[in-house]
Amino acid sequence: MKKDKPKRARAVSKPARPKTRAAALDSSQRSASTRASQKPAGRKRRKPDSSVPQNDLERHAVPAEHAVAQEDAGPSSESPVSLRLEDDETLVEEAPELGLGSRMVPPHIGWSDPLESMPPAARPRGDVAEQIRALEARLDGLIRTGALPKPADAPDGPPASEALRLVPPERELPTAPADDLAASPYFVKRWGRQGLRSRSEEVDDFGLDPVYESRFRPIAEFLYRHYFRIKTQGISQIPATGRCIIVANHSGTLPLDGLMLRTALRLEHPASRELRWLAEDFLFYLPFAGVFMNRVGAVRACQENAERLLGKDGLLAAFPEGVQGIRKLFSERYQLQRFGRGGYIRLALRMQAPIVPCAIIGAEETNPLLYRLESVASLVGLPYIPVTPTFPLLGPLGLVPAPSRWTIRFGEPVSLDGYGPQAAEDHVLVGRLSERVRGAIQAMLDNGVRDRKSVWFG
Amino acid sequence: MVAVTGATSFIGTNLIGVLEEDPGVHKLLALDTQPPPTAIAKTRVYELNLTSAAAEERLAEVFAAEAVDTVVHLAFLPSPTHASGYSHELESVGTMHVLNACRRTRVKKLVMWSQTLLYGAHPTNPNFLSEKHPLRARRTEPFLADKIEAENEALRFGKPGQGRTVTILRTAPIVGPTVDNFVTRFLSHRLVPTVLGFDPLWQFLHEADAIAAFRLAIMRDAPGVFNVTPEGVLPLGTAIRLAGRQALPLPRPFAGSLAGALWVAQVAEAPPSFFDYLQYVCVADGSLAQKVLGFRPLYTSREALIDFANAQHLREVKLLSETPA
Repeated sequence: MKKDKPKRARAVSKPARPKTRAAALDSSQRSASTRASQKPAGRKRRKPDSSVPQNDLERHAVPAEHAVAQEDAGPSSESPVSLRLEDDETLVEEAPELGLGSRMVPPHIGWSDPLESMPPAARPRGDVAEQIRALEARLDGLIRTGALPKPADAPDGPPASEALRLVPPERELPTAPADDLAASPYFVKRWGRQGLRSRSEEVDDFGLDPVYESRFRPIAEFLYRHYFRIKTQGISQIPATGRCIIVANHSGTLPLDGLMLRTALRLEHPASRELRWLAEDFLFYLPFAGVFMNRVGAVRACQENAERLLGKDGLLAAFPEGVQGIRKLFSERYQLQRFGRGGYIRLALRMQAPIVPCAIIGAEETNPLLYRLESVASLVGLPYIPVTPTFPLLGPLGLVPAPSRWTIRFGEPVSLDGYGPQAAEDHVLVGRLSERVRGAIQAMLDNGVRDRKSVWFG
Repeated sequence: MVAVTGATSFIGTNLIGVLEEDPGVHKLLALDTQPPPTAIAKTRVYELNLTSAAAEERLAEVFAAEAVDTVVHLAFLPSPTHASGYSHELESVGTMHVLNACRRTRVKKLVMWSQTLLYGAHPTNPNFLSEKHPLRARRTEPFLADKIEAENEALRFGKPGQGRTVTILRTAPIVGPTVDNFVTRFLSHRLVPTVLGFDPLWQFLHEADAIAAFRLAIMRDAPGVFNVTPEGVLPLGTAIRLAGRQALPLPRPFAGSLAGALWVAQVAEAPPSFFDYLQYVCVADGSLAQKVLGFRPLYTSREALIDFANAQHLREVKLLSETPA
């Protein structure tokens, strides 16, 4: 024991894990060799038998020594346990390795990010672990061959009992049990990053709160199924995977069409696709409404947001009419307003996403707008204050939408495959394509309104 | 040779501590009114007051004598202050002094601290602000206006074609166990004021990530402006709850006047114009720093906030006596 002092002293400066492992190897190797040296002395009778394990031990003592040496050399270049800021490469690369012992890391946050954690860190220690495993296997074999004859030679009490006593610690020492647990998928699921994430209230990058939304879901489904009794046609036009832009007419004073479109895609589409819709700026000036719409899936309409969502191969709904659509008077119902500056076409060209035209029929009757109070509205920060047959008359209750029957029709996708991303700069082309999409939606609207027998029963 | 101005700031202190232990760094210069506590063997400390008229002369002398080629400019206030005259001298004029001294000597590289707050919180912001987005913070707020001026000056200094590298790191609000700024103080109130009906998304950058980003910027030559942001966003309400606090929603008109009174009384940590950040989104996109600078944050927003909250809890039960740096 005393002999090893210098090695121990050198190990002090090293991080904890390699040290203990080296010490463990040391002790296991040492105890094994003492046992080996004791055994021949105890039983001369079975000399040929016991010489085999002895040789074996001597043979594998070399890799063990080798492993220790490697561990000695290793940590100077990479220290898996301590958080060292001075080398940024290590900081980043070793992040998943920081584990439970690190001071900087709250212990309940496992650092193992399952997606990108192990490969860089595991490699340097892989051979050592392998060696340890090989060593264990050989020790096991050794113990079995060494322990089986034991009952036969009962007189050799001390070595046999010693061997039996030594078995468990030898098997436990080389790897710390907590490390094994921390690396297991169960740990990651329950206590690691993923576990904490799934248990907590957390929003996605654009503010959608899955927990909040799931609480709201029954209401949305009630509106969808029983209140507006929505019928969808041609939902298979929307691809099951990949980016896509749905372009629809906008209507209904209180814009519920985005939310209903999202519900339709979730309930009716075979792939149950998740839709995010682009909402007008004014929504985000408003208290409560802005936060609410954001948490259930609305995103502010701008090119940056749309690009990011489509970049993740998402499904996006745009209402190019914008505020002009929801401020339509009842007399102008189902007449598409101007389609902005064709931003959605430029977006589709740049991101190479197909456009699916969509007509929402029935939503224009939910809150028939008779008049817009605009001068007062600017004081409140709204684009206008609606006057409907019920609204200022019945107070807030008057804003409850009328239970008209909706039909959502999806048309043939407008493919923009023929044009490259640079076509987005061609204003004439963008205008022409925008007009084509607008024409397609207007035709679907006209057909839908003509086919409809009743506003209330479809 | 790397020189750090504002060496006793939080980032400065820790950056010097980190570089002290780096075997690749042989010598360092620290410039501030006081010596940073982490300066040990490799750091040479020079006393410097950026608000004095002679600062430029002194800086140029030091830079020339020590053959400085890289300047890390961190002399910015971490929190709004009532002494707006002083902060203007320090941040806007002080940056000019530093840049002029760099022009007079052979400094080839400047790394400067900036913040994503400078984009300003607006309902018309995209959810992720890229570096190309204009800085639209309120110019009436000296804390933000001076920093925007400083950044513009630094960008003029680093105009391409002059052989200079200017790296500006815009960090998201920094939280962590040891940092002290107006965001951590804001989240330490028992009742945290918010605006009724608004719950904007926030990012919280862990202090270790911030320092790692500066270290990367020193090591690698990556000219340009970079948002240094964590992964993930948190609604402010969730952040307050994670910090173990209670939100106190106030209607905006009332909140504004109350906050104004508290600010004048020196009780609040930020003037009422900062209510913008409690209403609207101001979240930056850090993908450019990941791509060009190779920066990968260790902590998500949520983890950074939990780390901060843990330390804060220990401080409350008097088991962590160290005063925040």
